[in-house]
Amino acid sequence: MENFETLLQGSSKAHGHLCPGQVVGVRMAMEGCRLIELDNPSELPQIKKLIVYVEIDRCATDAICFVTGVRLGRRSLKFVDNGIMAATFVNLETGKAFRIVSTERARGLAEMYAPEISDKRQQQLQAYKKMGIAELFDIEEVKVDVPACDMPGPTRFKQICSSCGQVVRDKKEVMRNGKIQCRPCALGTYYRTVAEISHNKGTHHG
Amino acid sequence: MGNTKKSLQFKTIPVDEAVGSTLAHDMTEVIPGESKGPAFKKGHKVTSGDICRLMRLGKNNLYVLDLEDDQVHEDDAVNALAAALAGPGVIFSGSPSEGKLELKAAYPGLFKVDIEALTEFNMIQDVMCAAIHNNTSVKTNHSLAATRAIPLVIHKDALEKAVALAQNNYPIFSVKMYNPLKIRLIITGNEVYKGLIEDKFQAIVQKKTEDLGATLEETVILPDDEEMISRQINTYLKKETDLIITTGGMSVDPDDVTRAGIESSGFKQTIYSSAVLPGAMFLLGYHKNASIMGLPACGLYHRTTIFDLILPRLMAGERPTRRDLARLSHGGLCLNCETCRFPACSFGKVG
Repeated sequence: MENFETLLQGSSKAHGHLCPGQVVGVRMAMEGCRLIELDNPSELPQIKKLIVYVEIDRCATDAICFVTGVRLGRRSLKFVDNGIMAATFVNLETGKAFRIVSTERARGLAEMYAPEISDKRQQQLQAYKKMGIAELFDIEEVKVDVPACDMPGPTRFKQICSSCGQVVRDKKEVMRNGKIQCRPCALGTYYRTVAEISHNKGTHHG
Repeated sequence: MGNTKKSLQFKTIPVDEAVGSTLAHDMTEVIPGESKGPAFKKGHKVTSGDICRLMRLGKNNLYVLDLEDDQVHEDDAVNALAAALAGPGVIFSGSPSEGKLELKAAYPGLFKVDIEALTEFNMIQDVMCAAIHNNTSVKTNHSLAATRAIPLVIHKDALEKAVALAQNNYPIFSVKMYNPLKIRLIITGNEVYKGLIEDKFQAIVQKKTEDLGATLEETVILPDDEEMISRQINTYLKKETDLIITTGGMSVDPDDVTRAGIESSGFKQTIYSSAVLPGAMFLLGYHKNASIMGLPACGLYHRTTIFDLILPRLMAGERPTRRDLARLSHGGLCLNCETCRFPACSFGKVG
């Protein structure tokens, strides 16, 4: 694994800017990989041994992906939408896993570590570089039982939604009222089609 | 299940000569009263430091496997078995432990088992699968079943037969997702209506229905008056109501008119009485898209009743029939244990 400064530079470039989140993310990823004993996770053979669960979709997540090489499309990155600046690093081979949470106390300590900087963001950025791991993070060893349907590798599970005919992969279908359905059919969608909106408008005015 | 012995070509090596070899299966360690789990995982390369521990586990010889084309290792076999058994809402780990995989609920709902197919699956030599009961209400990650190949190495034809059987009967296991039902409640009883005693039913119904993801939209307290009860049911039916629940008035006293009130409302298809104790004087009915449950007063006293057996099924979109209620007879007797462990008991488990 490259050194911290090199990784931070690369991560900031990939993310689009240098921010405190990049520092936190790079340090979190480096510590996570160290704890699960992977020193070169973004290349073969280690690339197949790592899964990272991230719990927020903010700056630090991009840094974690940059350092570790985990990708959604490779199924090595899992997003659990908890709104918590935390990530769990899982070594699939050994079963070792650590959940690392970015602490709120680190924000309070920023001024102490970089009193010479008045800009809050810059102060945090520099302080998070200097701070000890124990101040920056809360770390717990955990066990993650990764389901077979969430594992990387070729698609093993396919079902067809009985309502719309859509193929659903990776056991994400549900059984609702005795029918196998895709989640949009069973639980509703996060979107509305333009055709549906136009139709409702027409009905309303008519 | 296994019923014959087959000779498999394992190479056996003494443990003190095993340094550098790769373990062919998980090695279980049991510490009495404390733990049971794999001390060494399949694929572990034996080091000199492992020899003492292996000996302490009672291992003087180790298996080294050299699989033939028609043989499948237990871990690969159990992956195939679990994949074939697990229907919608059922997931399992990507890493078998000691040759076994546990099937779990992917979301809360009603666990369904094709009992006949599961029995046939277990008639096949060298495979097994054990499950919890059909129609159990489960939460996410609830353990549902576990499967394994019996021998360390299974013949391909036996595995293929078991997988094909499970696939042809798909899904042997599934979890039916609960619908977020809109529920309206009628508390009946002159004594509650007049304020002589305080109602306790609403809190019970609210807790049990909301636990499964339903919402209690409205509660009305009525006297033991057939016409008022009937009228209230019709008022509820005009609103968006999936399930009406009435409490009390289901017995045989002259004041028990709730059943008559239900039957003179829109609910023509009703089933009165169930082979369950507590809950014999239970009523279940259907009208268009709505269902009704008439709960006898036993629900106030007993922690678990027929209500706990039928509510999950209605929530899962099922419409139990008279025969379904009769079938509950076997396992329908609550033992009134001092500490209730339902659903981890025989109550409501049809064998």
